[in-house]
Amino acid sequence: MQRVLVFFMALCLWVGVQISTAPVAAAEFSFNALVPCSQSEAFQSRLDTEVSGYQTRLEQYAPGSEPAKYLEGKIASTKERFARYASTNLLCGEDGLPHLISDGRWDHAGEFLIPSLLFLYIAGWIGWVGRDYLRAIHQNAETAYEKEIILDVALATKFMLSGFLWPLAAVKELTGGQLTVPENEVTVSPR
Amino acid sequence: MEGFIKFISTAPVLATVWMGITAAILIEANVLFPDQLYFPF
Repeated sequence: MQRVLVFFMALCLWVGVQISTAPVAAAEFSFNALVPCSQSEAFQSRLDTEVSGYQTRLEQYAPGSEPAKYLEGKIASTKERFARYASTNLLCGEDGLPHLISDGRWDHAGEFLIPSLLFLYIAGWIGWVGRDYLRAIHQNAETAYEKEIILDVALATKFMLSGFLWPLAAVKELTGGQLTVPENEVTVSPR
Repeated sequence: MEGFIKFISTAPVLATVWMGITAAILIEANVLFPDQLYFPF
């Protein structure tokens, strides 16, 4: 049995190494295949197709009518969108669509890195406030569970408004020893 | 009035109100800043 497991692990490792080395080349290749959207012909033809599609529909309506105004608005917003994407360093693929670069390089940080950090920050804010609220209401064992169902809104709001500093608070609690419990308080299964 | 405050403060009701606010923020953000594919900075 042990030999089978060893063989299986070796197989997993081999496959893992193969996978982790192969896509690098693929990623480089696809990155080289991208061009700035302002220089992409496919991007330009997408704009033309979309606008002419709206214009075909526009011909069916009397000028100044509500549907015509709606379609004119659509044409304007489409042109504005394409102009905006072309004015930045967004990269387009052969499909003529912008491809977001998510590997963390700084010149494309606005495409993935900053939004993802914002997401983590907001998720952390929510989690930190929830944890603070639960810890605060559990100071009083009598009303603790009631306040999990009927929220103490004033107390929760207080935590919510101060929660924007959560990364600092987390560092402070980590260094102060409140974030984690001592090793001997962590329950482990019998061995 | 006290009963109403208590009703509004219950977790399911508050969660519904909160999700409504979140949805409204997202909808309004997309109306005011349409087609945000990237974060401009």
